[in-house]
Amino acid sequence: MGLPEDRERFRDIGEARREDLSEFISHGDLGGSGPNQVRIPIKIVDLPAFEYDQREVGGVGQGEDGQPQPGQPVDPQPDDGEEAGDPGEEAGDHEYYEMDPEEFAKELDEELGLDLEPKGKRVVEEVEGDFTDTARTGPQGSLDVDEFFKRGLKRHLATDFDESYVREGLFVDGAGVDAVFTWAREASIPVSRAWIADTAREIETERGAAIESVARWPDFETLEVEVDREPAGQRIRRQGIDTVPFRREDERFRHPEVIEQHERNVVVVNIRDASGSMRETKRELVERVFTPMDWYLTGKYDAAEFHYIVHDAEAWEVDREAFFGVQSGGGTRISSAYERVEAVLEEYPYSEWNRYVFAAGDSENAGADTQQNVIPLMRSIDANLHAYVETQPGGTTQNARHADEVEQALGDADNVAVARVTGHDDVTDAIYEILSTEDTDP
Amino acid sequence: MRDDRLEAKREAATLDEPAEEARNLAERLGLDPYPVRYWVVDHDEMNELIAYGGFQHRYPHWRWGMNYERQRKKDRHGLGKAFEIVNNDDPSHAFLQESNTTADQKAVITHVEAHADFFANNDWFGLYADRGEDGPNAVARLGRNADRLAEIGRRADVDREEVERLIDAVTAIEDTIDQHSPVNAARDGDAIKPTSDGDDPREELQAKIDELDLSAEVQGDVFDEEWLAAQESGVEPDKPRPDVLAFLRDHGKRYDSETGKAVDREPWETTVIDAVREEAYYFAGQKVTKVMNEGWATYWESVMMGGEGFAGPDEFLTYADHMARVLGSPGLNPYKLGFELWTHVELQAARRDVVDKLLRVDGVTPETFHAEIDIDEVIDTLQPHPAIEGAGPAMLDELAELAANGDPRVDAEMVDRALSVRRGDTDADDGPDIEQYPWKLLTYEGLAERHYVLARPQHRRALRNLSRSTLEERARYMFDVDRYKTVADALADCDRTAGWNRMYEVRESHNDVTFIDEFLTDEFVRERNYFTYEYSQAGDEFRVASTDAADVKRKLLLQFTNFGKPTIVVLDGNFKNRGELLLGHQYNGVALDERQAKATLKRVFELWGRPVNLATIRTEYDETELRRAQRQNREPEGTEVGVRLQYDGGDVTEHDLDDTIKSRIEADEVDYDTKPDAWLA
Repeated sequence: MGLPEDRERFRDIGEARREDLSEFISHGDLGGSGPNQVRIPIKIVDLPAFEYDQREVGGVGQGEDGQPQPGQPVDPQPDDGEEAGDPGEEAGDHEYYEMDPEEFAKELDEELGLDLEPKGKRVVEEVEGDFTDTARTGPQGSLDVDEFFKRGLKRHLATDFDESYVREGLFVDGAGVDAVFTWAREASIPVSRAWIADTAREIETERGAAIESVARWPDFETLEVEVDREPAGQRIRRQGIDTVPFRREDERFRHPEVIEQHERNVVVVNIRDASGSMRETKRELVERVFTPMDWYLTGKYDAAEFHYIVHDAEAWEVDREAFFGVQSGGGTRISSAYERVEAVLEEYPYSEWNRYVFAAGDSENAGADTQQNVIPLMRSIDANLHAYVETQPGGTTQNARHADEVEQALGDADNVAVARVTGHDDVTDAIYEILSTEDTDP
Repeated sequence: MRDDRLEAKREAATLDEPAEEARNLAERLGLDPYPVRYWVVDHDEMNELIAYGGFQHRYPHWRWGMNYERQRKKDRHGLGKAFEIVNNDDPSHAFLQESNTTADQKAVITHVEAHADFFANNDWFGLYADRGEDGPNAVARLGRNADRLAEIGRRADVDREEVERLIDAVTAIEDTIDQHSPVNAARDGDAIKPTSDGDDPREELQAKIDELDLSAEVQGDVFDEEWLAAQESGVEPDKPRPDVLAFLRDHGKRYDSETGKAVDREPWETTVIDAVREEAYYFAGQKVTKVMNEGWATYWESVMMGGEGFAGPDEFLTYADHMARVLGSPGLNPYKLGFELWTHVELQAARRDVVDKLLRVDGVTPETFHAEIDIDEVIDTLQPHPAIEGAGPAMLDELAELAANGDPRVDAEMVDRALSVRRGDTDADDGPDIEQYPWKLLTYEGLAERHYVLARPQHRRALRNLSRSTLEERARYMFDVDRYKTVADALADCDRTAGWNRMYEVRESHNDVTFIDEFLTDEFVRERNYFTYEYSQAGDEFRVASTDAADVKRKLLLQFTNFGKPTIVVLDGNFKNRGELLLGHQYNGVALDERQAKATLKRVFELWGRPVNLATIRTEYDETELRRAQRQNREPEGTEVGVRLQYDGGDVTEHDLDDTIKSRIEADEVDYDTKPDAWLA
C-alpha cells in the first residue's frame, strides 16, 4: 500500500488498456513519441459519472472590460481554482502509456515472435575495473598500505618475544643457559641462545652468583603456571608501531584490472526514395515501418546511431525530422543512395559495428541500375541486414521491379530481406519479415 | 551527511511565531477554528498529498497513481502551484510548501486559520462531524478504511482486481448521495448495521403474513418468492430515493457471470461499499461549500495580511502579487466569486444597519431621505476613531483613556501591560509586541470599527446609491420610528460589528447554493459584468447568451446544485416486476452526457446484479429542421423526447420511455437554458 504501489497499479491499468503494439504501429498515432520514448495512447482511463452534457450546460463568465454582447463568441474556461483541497475532476481523455525502446523491443519480440540477439562487436573498450591487481612498483598514491603493514608486522612477529618472560626462566632453580634455551624453544619462543647467554651474564653480575643458583622458581612448570606471557599484540600496542620494521621489499602497489568490454552497438542507415512518385500515403507507410524498427534496434543495442539518406537521382543525408517529409521532383536512381551509404559506413568498420541498411521506395528505378549497381553494392557492403521495403498502395506499376530483382538475386542471402506493403495492415508483417531474417543466422 | 529535512525544520521553526500570532489575531477577529497543526513539506510530498486528497493514508487504488502522475506533470511545467493543503479534521493538518517565501507562508497560515474556522462552524460540515464520533475524525476514519480495504485485497479468497472494480463502481456514483442528510449514524465499529429503514424488511413482512394465520399451502401460493422479493425492494412511486448509493448497498446484488444469475453479496463487498460511501459523505461538505469556504478564507486572509499588516512592509509586494495571482485567474474563480460575495454580505448588512438607524431619525422618510441626509457627512462620521484606526505605540495614551472609560473597543488588560512595558516595570519580552501586533490592544468591536466596510473609500458608493425602492422596503416594516432626534444621534448608535456578525451567521448556516441564491443580487451581477454562455449549433461555438442577472444566477446555481451534476434518483427497485432497477434523471432542461451515462450505468450494474435502467430526456432534431435552421442561420428547434437506457451485462440498449415515468422526471418550473430567442450570428 502506498504511492509506489498505486503508481504501479496505474501503470498496469494503462498497460492493460492501451492499444496493443500491432494496432499502434499500423494505425496508431506515432506523433506523440520520439526516438527514445514511445508513447502509446491509452483507451480512456477515467472514472465516469452522471454528468451534464457539456454543450447543453453552458456556463457563466466574467467580462474583462465592460459588458459583453449576446452573440459574441466565448472560449469556455475550465473550472479553475484547485489550489487547495481536492485533487479535482478526473477528465482523463488523453493518457499515454510510456515505454522506453528497451521495453518496446521486448514487447515487440513477444508480440511478433522475434528473437534478435544483439551481437557484441569488437569495439573493444579497455575499461578500468576495480583496483584488484597488485604490482611491485607504482606511484606512491596507490600504495597498498594494508599489505605493507601486514608484511612488516609479520616480520616483527617472527622475531618478537616476551623478554621478561624468558628472563624469568633464568630464575628457575638449577637452570642454566642451555636449559632455558631448550625450554624456550620448546615453547615456540623465537629467542636466540646468545640473547639468553647475555641476559644470564647480566643477572650473574647483578646478583653476584652463578645463574643456576639464582632461583625464584622451583621448576619450569611452576613458572609457567604462575607467570603470564604477554601476548604479542598487546606488546606491540604497548611498544608502539615504531617497533614494526618496514622494508622496501614489503611495498605493494595497486593497479586497476583491465576489462575488455564488448559493446553491442549498431548503426542503422535508413534510405528513402524521395522522388516525385513517393506521395504522402507511401511516405506514411515508410514511416510506419521504419520508426518501430528504429525503436526496436535502439532497445536491443547498447548504443545506436542513425543516418538518414534520401535520394532521387542523387542522394543526400538529412536528419530524422526531415527524413519522412522530404519530397523532391526528379527521377530515381537507387544506387546513388548506396554509394552514399558506402561513404557513411566507412566510419563504422564492420568488425566493430553491427550494421543495418534499410531502404524503402516504390520499386521504381532507372534502367538497369538495380542489376548493374545496386545489387553489387548490396553484396559488397557488409551488413547484418539489408532490407528493401516496397510501398505501393494501389497495386504494382509496370516498371517497378526493384524489389523483385533484388529478391531474385539476393533472396537466398542470409542478410537480405524484401518486404512489400500495400496498406496499413501489411506493416507489422513487413517488420516481422525484415527483423526475423537475421534470426536465422547461426 | 546533510539532513534533507534540515531545510524543512529550519523553515518550520521560523513559522512558529507567525502561526501562533495568526491564531491570536484570528480569535480576536471572531474566528473560532479547529486547532491546526502545520507541517512543512517539499515538492514531492506536496504532490503526493494533493494526489491523495490531502491525506497520507488512503485505500489502495490506481486513481491516486493517476492523480500523482498528473499533478507531477503540472508541477514540472510550473502550473497549478499549490501553496498549501489543509484538511477538514479536528485538529486540522495543514501542509505548507517548503519553497514558499515567508510572505507566502504567512498568507497561507492566515488563509488556513480561516478555513479551519469554516470547517468547525459550518452546518454542512457539521452534518458529518456531528455524527457521534467526536468530530470529523477524518485521519482515523480514512486510515481505517485504508487498512481495511488493503486487508481485503490481500485475502487469499479475494481477487484484488474485484476489489478495485467495486471501488471503481462505487466511486462512479459517489455523488448520488443525499448530501442534505447525515451519513447513517448507526456505525457499530466493524459491524454493518441495517439501514435506518428498520430491521430486515423481509422479517417484518413475514411477521405480518404470519399474523394472517394462513395455512402453509395458501401462504406459499399467495405470498410466493417473487411477490416477497418485489415487496422488499419496492419504492413508492411518488417518493423517489435520492441516496442511490445506499439503496444499492441495501438491495443490490452481484452478478455471477458463470451462472448468469444475481447472487448475494459477500460481506467484504458491503464493507467496501460502506467505506467508499462514507468517504463520499465526508468529502461532500467540502464540495457543497467550495465557493463560500474559499471566499471566506481569502477574505480573512486579506484582513489579516493587508488590513492588519501581518505581511511586513518588505513582504507586502510579494503578498500583493500572491493575491493578484489567486484572484486574477480567468474563468469562474471560486476564490474571487466567494471573496466578492462575502464582501457583499458584509456591505449589505452594514448598510442595512445604517439605513435602519437613519430612517428612524425624526423627519426622515424614504421620500425625504436624500434631502435630509448629507451622505458625505455620514461617511465622515462613520470613520473609525483615530486611536482605533492608528492603534499602536503612538496611540497608547489615547487608548488608555478610552479603556479607563470602559470603552468596549479597547482591550484594557493589554493596554495596561503595554503601559507597564513602556514605563519599564515589565520586561519588553514579557509584554505584548504592540509595534508588530497593534491589534492586540483592540477587542472584536475595536477591530470591527478599524476595518469598518463603509469607511473604506471603495464602498462609499453603497450609501450614495440607495434607491427609493430600497428605502421603502426597509421602512415598510419599521416600527419605532422617530426615535432619534438628529442624524448624529442615529449614527452614534450604529453597530460597526453588523457586517461581521452577519457574516458569521451566514458562514454557519449556508452552503454554496443558498449563499449564491441569497446574496448574488442584481446589483452584484451588473457591477461585475457577469454573463451566461451557451453552445450555438448554428455557429458550432460557445457564445455569450445573456447578461440578465436572473439568468446569470440561475446558470451559476446549475453549476453548484447537486455538486454541479444532474440529480439521479431511484424510481423503482423492482421495475417490470423483474427485480430490475429503474433510475431517473430529474430533468431540468439540461441533458446528460450520454457517453458517460452509459459507462456509469455499467458500473451501477456491478452494484445491482440485475438489469439496470436509466430514464432521461434528450432533445432530438429532425433532419429537415436542422437543414432549415442552417440555411436560416438560427438555432434548430428540437423536441424533448423521453428515453430509457438499459444495461443487462451485454450492451446498452435504448427504449422508449413510458409517459408516466417521463412526467415523473420532468421539471416544469425551472429552465436553465438562457439562449436568447434571436442570436446574432
